[in-house]
Amino acid sequence: MKQLMRRSMLAFLATSMVAGGLFAQGGKEAAPKAAANDASKYEVTAPIEITWWHALENQYQPLVDEIVNNFNAKQDKIKVKAEYIGDYATVNETLVAAQAAGQGLPALVVANTPYVAQYGAAGLCEDLNPYIKATGFDIEDFGEGMIKASSYEDKQVSLPFLISTQVMYYNKTMADAKGITIPAYFKDMDSFLEKATEYNADGSTKVWGTIVPGWDQWYFETFFLNNGVNIINPDRKTTDLNGPAAVETTKTMGNWMKKGQAYFATGKGASANMRQAFIEQKAFSVLHTSSLYNTYVDRCKDFEVGMAWFPATDTRKQEIGGCVLLIPAKNDQQTKNAAWQFLSYLCSKDVNMKWAEGTGYMPTRKSVLETEEGKAFLAKKPAFQCIFDNLDNIYPRIQHAGWNQLASIWKSYLAQFYNEGKPIEGNIDQMAEEIDEALEDSLQ
Amino acid sequence: MKSIKPRTLDHLKDFGCTVPALVLILIFTYWPIVRLIQISFTNWNLLNDSYKYVGFKNWKWLFTGSGTKYLLNSLKATVIYSCGEILITLLGGLILALIFNTEHPGYNVMRAVVFMPKYVAMSSAAVVFLWMLNTQYGVFNYFLTQLGFKPVDWLQDSHTAMLSVLMLTGWRAIGYGMIIYLAAMRSISKDYYEAAELDGATYWQRLRLITLPLLTPTTLFLFVTTFLSSMKVFQSIDILTGGGPYRSTEVFVYKIYQYAMVDFRMDRAATMALAFFLLLLLCTAATMRISRGKVNYES
Amino acid sequence: MNKKTESLHELEVRALRRRWFFTVLQYLMAIIVTLVALFPLYWMLISSVKSQDEVLRLVPTFWPHEFHFENYLHVMQKVNFGKYYLNTIIMTAGIMFGEIVTGIFAAYGFSKGNFRYKNTLFLVVLGALMIPIQVTFIPIYIMFARLHLTDTYLGLILPSAVSPYYIFMLRQSFMAIDDSYIDAAKIDGVGKVGIIVKVLTPMCKSTLFTVTLVTFTSGWNNYFWPKIIAKEESHRVLTVGLAKLKETFAGQDTMNNHEIMAGAVMAILPVVIVFFIFQKYMLTGYSKAAMK
Repeated sequence: MKQLMRRSMLAFLATSMVAGGLFAQGGKEAAPKAAANDASKYEVTAPIEITWWHALENQYQPLVDEIVNNFNAKQDKIKVKAEYIGDYATVNETLVAAQAAGQGLPALVVANTPYVAQYGAAGLCEDLNPYIKATGFDIEDFGEGMIKASSYEDKQVSLPFLISTQVMYYNKTMADAKGITIPAYFKDMDSFLEKATEYNADGSTKVWGTIVPGWDQWYFETFFLNNGVNIINPDRKTTDLNGPAAVETTKTMGNWMKKGQAYFATGKGASANMRQAFIEQKAFSVLHTSSLYNTYVDRCKDFEVGMAWFPATDTRKQEIGGCVLLIPAKNDQQTKNAAWQFLSYLCSKDVNMKWAEGTGYMPTRKSVLETEEGKAFLAKKPAFQCIFDNLDNIYPRIQHAGWNQLASIWKSYLAQFYNEGKPIEGNIDQMAEEIDEALEDSLQ
Repeated sequence: MKSIKPRTLDHLKDFGCTVPALVLILIFTYWPIVRLIQISFTNWNLLNDSYKYVGFKNWKWLFTGSGTKYLLNSLKATVIYSCGEILITLLGGLILALIFNTEHPGYNVMRAVVFMPKYVAMSSAAVVFLWMLNTQYGVFNYFLTQLGFKPVDWLQDSHTAMLSVLMLTGWRAIGYGMIIYLAAMRSISKDYYEAAELDGATYWQRLRLITLPLLTPTTLFLFVTTFLSSMKVFQSIDILTGGGPYRSTEVFVYKIYQYAMVDFRMDRAATMALAFFLLLLLCTAATMRISRGKVNYES
Repeated sequence: MNKKTESLHELEVRALRRRWFFTVLQYLMAIIVTLVALFPLYWMLISSVKSQDEVLRLVPTFWPHEFHFENYLHVMQKVNFGKYYLNTIIMTAGIMFGEIVTGIFAAYGFSKGNFRYKNTLFLVVLGALMIPIQVTFIPIYIMFARLHLTDTYLGLILPSAVSPYYIFMLRQSFMAIDDSYIDAAKIDGVGKVGIIVKVLTPMCKSTLFTVTLVTFTSGWNNYFWPKIIAKEESHRVLTVGLAKLKETFAGQDTMNNHEIMAGAVMAILPVVIVFFIFQKYMLTGYSKAAMK
């Protein structure tokens, strides 16, 4: 075996070379340019079957079936096949592999909001503007933040589908008993947590004031934004995350953790643990996504769940979450036309209300909010009032090719500050350096 | 035309037997490597349709640029993991083999039970460990607190995350080490032991002077196979830690996968992958060199 | 009775006692190790029949208060386990067929065969042991997508249709067989295929069973490649389907561990059964490879 393995080193390299000669390399061709707008161009002329990849797992299956069947029944040319692919990360993997191969792409696919920039920059998505113009799709009815969040550099590369934003869930029953409310301002968080936290006799925490998700920076990045931090500076190459405002915010949050008023939830299963702590009334409040409202209400049988806008400053910015729908540009025109019809159906006002009622996502249409339906929705889910009041404050995500890397570096450092006691001073500069490097690097 | 000699024809048939296997291996293992070599000189980001050749830019990035620290970090994580798996499989396997090397009633079944985890799908095994390692609800922390220790944040603490992964690995690998050692012990001739017993050798003497030396080829076999499989660790990391916390479990294959599928930097993934292969080749070569002359296992 | 025989007797008794003591100690250690090895599987099994509340109890119960076998029913309703089973069986059968056929013939060629560059080519085979699919899957995927092999059984099977490990193990085993058997068969007029199938293979039964079991389990447990190549429900396999049980949305998982465990139990059950049927061949099966 010894000699065999030793010689395998050479064979390994040699064979690679030989194999290279045996299999010809296929070059890559440029994608065809989109044609000019012309309404007839976007019509579906022959019967066609198209596939829609989504991330709506099992519990939403009946709703998905209902909506897809309705669409298939109301016209006779297009037959949609809905395919559950997996969570957002799996959808991304599968889509990227298909895109790289240029084969096996779905007609329509969901994408988590942070992917919009990278997909858009790479030309993965069809520009929907011509379709919108040609078919007179009422895009203005979406909030401005949503339109921006689903576009990339003036191209409407996707449409908002299931939209959520960050909210603070709190135990309303407990809040009423203690006579406290969620503060409107970040500076009041300290005194709020002071009141909300309960300790055991040995000084350990009995009820957390709040829990900060550390697995996704999306949940705490608006604290920084509203405190005036440029997570990415206008030069697109550097970060302000070690600037005075950012250091101040980082330290303030660190103090919550130090005092045992909050904890920074990291690792696999962190979100389930956090949610369980809230359900078991071991946390007064948690920062989470509005899409989970239904789940929280279902699971918290012993108390009333409240939902509040994040404590902020003069600006009350919050960011879009959830997913958008996009059409891969590499598909042929007939498939794209069919996909567009289904896409406009999925994003239409009526269907959107169905999604909003059946899931924890919010209505995306401005016109819905002012109508009876909107009022009926609010009557059913009064907690959503805080979101309806702040619709103009929902902003698109920061779009940058290096965003993923920035986020992973940032989260990793914060976890070390908060969970392993690494000093913030000094190390935060090192973090910023690392981020700058990643940002600059990603623009190449 | 000269007719083919029967001998040549026979050789050709023998070669023909290996062709299906060779062809499949060339297509599914070596050809992708050639593609990776090609990609490592481009700026392909997986989403784009076009790419251009950028010379040694990616290689410079990896060895002298900002990629170096990720390379070193992955190297460190992989080495720690690999050492752990080798230690568990070899040392743990040997100890278990000594314990289980008997034909008393019941041992047959117990051996099978210890060996079985090797065959439990990683996707199932990892979710059980994920559950058992849960900080709040996990049964491990329950045992710890019952024994008077503080609960451990197994997967969220950079000091214990790799250990947790190794617990899962160990559970699956130790029985394999045991079976291989047992198989080898069975084929050692009884004569040696009888002669030693006549000379009045103690258990430890017999172990040190007969068993262990005769197991050297087995140890090397296990070392090489475990080393190669440990370098390829992916799924347990993916399910348990996702490379975290703080990159402490970001082993090579996981990092390469991340570059390709999360950052869409196929060029960098390819470059890192090739560096990783080179490293594997060097390590295997070194192992062979060190062991040369000590054992001869070419039959 | 004189003093000398008495002390001899005493020595014997002491030796017997010592032997008895070691046997008990050995049993004790063996039982502890076995229990530790068994525990995760036990935990999987009992968690799968607990209620959600019981699974989430801070003080875990080591025997379920109530048995909730309906968890299995819920899991079957939630995901299409029947379809996943079928797909997994087809994929595993295909992989086994491929590995056994390519493996036996290649092992013969590399052991008893005689041709130029035999050893060099064998190194080519061994070199493949070093390369994980997580690193090479993108070129393979692109190739398969262009051949329209995504979401097909062939696509699932092909990359695993040959195993260097299988070839290596079987080659070691074939090499240990004396050439005289082959020569005798040749004189009887048995052809090449006959020699491989009727002479060599039956003589290496235990190795064959061992490596085939490895093939079966690794095929059954295959996860990474099926996840990439079979994205649609029609060709989804058990290991990938299991991940579907985790109630995730927007990356938020929930605490339905009782159901996840039930799914895990169902996924590994066939492997465990097959393992216990064939485990008796293991010790002899590995001995040849391990000693060379």
